[in-house]
Amino acid sequence: MKYEFLDSEVLTRLGALPVDSRLPMAGNVVGRHRSPHRGSSVEFAEYRKYVAGDDTRRLDWKAYARTDRHYIKEFEADTNLRAYFVVDCSGSMGYASAEHPTKLDYARRLAASLAYLLVNQGDAAGLSCCAGTLYLEMPPSRRPAQLQHFFDTLTETEARGETGLVAALHTIAEKIGQRGLVVILSDLFCDALSLGDALQHLRYRKHDIAVFHLLDRQEIAFDFNRPYRFIDLEDDTSLVAEPNLIKEEYDHAMREFLETVEADCNDVHADYYRVITDQDYEEVLREFLTARLPKKGRR
Amino acid sequence: MNFVQPLLLWGLLGVSIPIIIHLLNRRRFRTVKWGAMQFLLKATRESRGQKRLKHILILLMRALAIAALVFAVSRPRVGGFLGWGGGRVDTIILVLDRSASMERTEPGARQSKRESVLERVARAMDDIGEARLVLIDSATGSAHEVPSPEVLPGLSLTAPTDASADVPGMLAAALDYLRQAKPARSEIWIASDLQRHDWAPADSRWDAFRASLEELGLDTRLRVLALNDRPGNDFAIRVHSARRDNADLVLDLEITRENDEGPVEKPVTISHLGARSAGLVELAGQSLRFRKRLPLEGRQAGGHGWVSLPDLSNQRNNVAYYAYGPETAVYAYLVADPSTSPESLASIEKAVAPGAAKQELTTLDPQRAHLIDFDLASLVVWKAPIPSPGPVASQLLAFVRSGGVCVFLPPEADGAATFGGIGWDSVEQAEEGRYFIVKEWSRADGPLRDAADGTSLPVQRLRAILRRPINGDPAVLARWDDGTPFLARRIIDRGTILFLATLPDYAWSNLEQTALHLVVLQRAFEAGSRRLGAGFFGVAGEPSALPRGNEVLTRLDTYETAPAANPGYLAGAYRFGDRTVAVNRPPDEDSLEFLAPSDLQVVLEGTGYTLLEEAGASTDSFWREIWRTFLMAMLVFLIVEAVLCLQRRRPAPVSEPAAQPAT
Repeated sequence: MKYEFLDSEVLTRLGALPVDSRLPMAGNVVGRHRSPHRGSSVEFAEYRKYVAGDDTRRLDWKAYARTDRHYIKEFEADTNLRAYFVVDCSGSMGYASAEHPTKLDYARRLAASLAYLLVNQGDAAGLSCCAGTLYLEMPPSRRPAQLQHFFDTLTETEARGETGLVAALHTIAEKIGQRGLVVILSDLFCDALSLGDALQHLRYRKHDIAVFHLLDRQEIAFDFNRPYRFIDLEDDTSLVAEPNLIKEEYDHAMREFLETVEADCNDVHADYYRVITDQDYEEVLREFLTARLPKKGRR
Repeated sequence: MNFVQPLLLWGLLGVSIPIIIHLLNRRRFRTVKWGAMQFLLKATRESRGQKRLKHILILLMRALAIAALVFAVSRPRVGGFLGWGGGRVDTIILVLDRSASMERTEPGARQSKRESVLERVARAMDDIGEARLVLIDSATGSAHEVPSPEVLPGLSLTAPTDASADVPGMLAAALDYLRQAKPARSEIWIASDLQRHDWAPADSRWDAFRASLEELGLDTRLRVLALNDRPGNDFAIRVHSARRDNADLVLDLEITRENDEGPVEKPVTISHLGARSAGLVELAGQSLRFRKRLPLEGRQAGGHGWVSLPDLSNQRNNVAYYAYGPETAVYAYLVADPSTSPESLASIEKAVAPGAAKQELTTLDPQRAHLIDFDLASLVVWKAPIPSPGPVASQLLAFVRSGGVCVFLPPEADGAATFGGIGWDSVEQAEEGRYFIVKEWSRADGPLRDAADGTSLPVQRLRAILRRPINGDPAVLARWDDGTPFLARRIIDRGTILFLATLPDYAWSNLEQTALHLVVLQRAFEAGSRRLGAGFFGVAGEPSALPRGNEVLTRLDTYETAPAANPGYLAGAYRFGDRTVAVNRPPDEDSLEFLAPSDLQVVLEGTGYTLLEEAGASTDSFWREIWRTFLMAMLVFLIVEAVLCLQRRRPAPVSEPAAQPAT
């Protein structure tokens, strides 16, 4: 494939698994995703040429008057699942140890693969990138052209700047009108309490939240055997430390952080996946997708 | 403390290695871009303080371990004798006990105590370096400067002697030397086996020594090297007397041993008239006193010889020498008051000099007692009122002190005078039809002892009508049935006085019939005659062991072939002019009484002395190498460092992804 972060074989294997929502989605089209509403309340998406067999009630007469051609209105409500991918592009996402991919690379794979699957099944995928601020917002779309733009944007993203994930999540929570699936791909290196508030905000907005907590193994193991000068990927500050002397305290801080983050996610009933970048992302995705399959007897 | 390999102490520079490594390590850091900075910062903040201290302790333990190793390989030594310092000393005064007991050699040792301590002192002097060595030996008692420690063991002033030591006297000489020389810093080393007789702890000179040492005002340290280890069992032989008895020479011998380990047979060799003979003697207890009769083969002239027994503990007390003079008569004097009945007088005279063995008796009345030739007398029988204090009493006392025996028989008249604290009470008469009977007497000791074959004397057959009670506080050798003394004794120096409470007079008792008085007087005569024989004996270290005036000294015996380097201090048979003298070690040198450390504390109280005891020491050096201590210390430091480096086990953060779909 054209994009490194997309693997056609993986996509083929995962294609059999739908991307399901765990919460009822807004939409007036009966589809695979449950809808809480009945009646119209749709958003116009685009025009397309009329072909035989289309519902004539959806002909846009104004467009005909203007162009003497028959066009059909396409509405967003037809997609039912809107997925908002929030990719943390702060400097810390650029860390990789040994031969492993950076966390951002890993996030790209996850986001791109999921977006592909979503669009392939007729749902919409949007992208938001944040570092110090939320600097990119791509509304969800099910159009293949949008997907292309999604991939291109992912390709261009770089891990740079400080973490502004919390503010970005709050902004997204405010901006998104209809409920959707918010997929967060980040190392979550921010204040855990603030993160909890942001997740609560999203939950308040009735969004389905999935969190892929990306970490490098070395960030957890802290397995250095000599003094190092650590340079912060986000603000270039540096610190000389002897890891063997502070490992105990580091482990304690990391453990505390992970427990807090997990607790925050559990509080909002979010899907929480702690992903180490040396894991096979296909397995991660499979697990994610499988877990979202509807249980027998429950729809 | 000093070191056998001091150059290796340069290795202490290696103490800086862990610190240098640590510093280099810190500077040789690599750079890594890091994302989880917030945790790193938090960890760094929390690890300050305690962690830093722990790290410093780890470095310290490593440095100390290296230092301990360096010290260990440098072979440090501390002087158990010289203390942890030693320091700089200007003068060392060695007070050396050269007495006979210092020739003791313990089992497994190749040197006597004297030789051993000289060798150690020489080595210690080498280690100390420049210091003047002054020797005060127990023989001469005077200070001699020693040019070099190496020559110490070979000096005649350090050679063995058979004499005693006078430790307080030697220390007084040491103080005299210090007063004259006034060294800035000095030490007095006393090398002795702490034999009580040599130290005389009750001697008043110790008070003077302690006071003088304090008043001296010099920086003087006192060190005692106590050669008091006695694991072996030392046997010694001694000749108490040698006297002619008719055609024989009778040797009064005694064998002693340090520990009674049960019956043992010891071979005793006697060299007599140029011939040697050996025989076995069984020793059951701690000592055995016995007599040996040696035929004189009709020889009239005097002679000498020696007796020895094989024992490796101490060569000096394995031999005893004897000498005897030409055959001469022995003399006794009987001082009898004129009122003595002729029968009683005759009985006494016959008992003293029955007519055999060249015994001659002179009878005098008390007024002529001043005619007694006390130089020739062996026995004085005084059957008269005890002489009042005066020339006769003084001469009599001197006679007894020099080994003579005086037997007091009840006088006819009462008197208040006493002799040796013993006197007479008024005559007592037994009740009508009753007698004074001797109920108990000493069968092992004194004139009424059993015969050599074990036969007891017929003391119980004695019946007395009259008796004169003995007053005073004598040693009672026999008692009447009412408990009062029948025969009493007091030993005064080398002689003895005896009081017999009744007379060989039928008006008094049947003593004549039992012949008990004969036995008492003969035995007393024999004991007294040893006094003359004592003139042939000398004591090493005393004037009796040295020739008088222009007498020329010649060694007669062949027991030792080594030249007598110290005349007067070595035992042997000698001729002094025309006198033959057997010089033996002092009796106290065979004593088993030694000072305990607690006794030493009393004797040397306030002097701040250092004591090194030979007993229990595991090395044969003044110095103790303590490298093992430093190796142990290194081990401890390394263990502590390892413990400090141990990380506490804490559960690591969960690394596996937790697939946790929300419920």
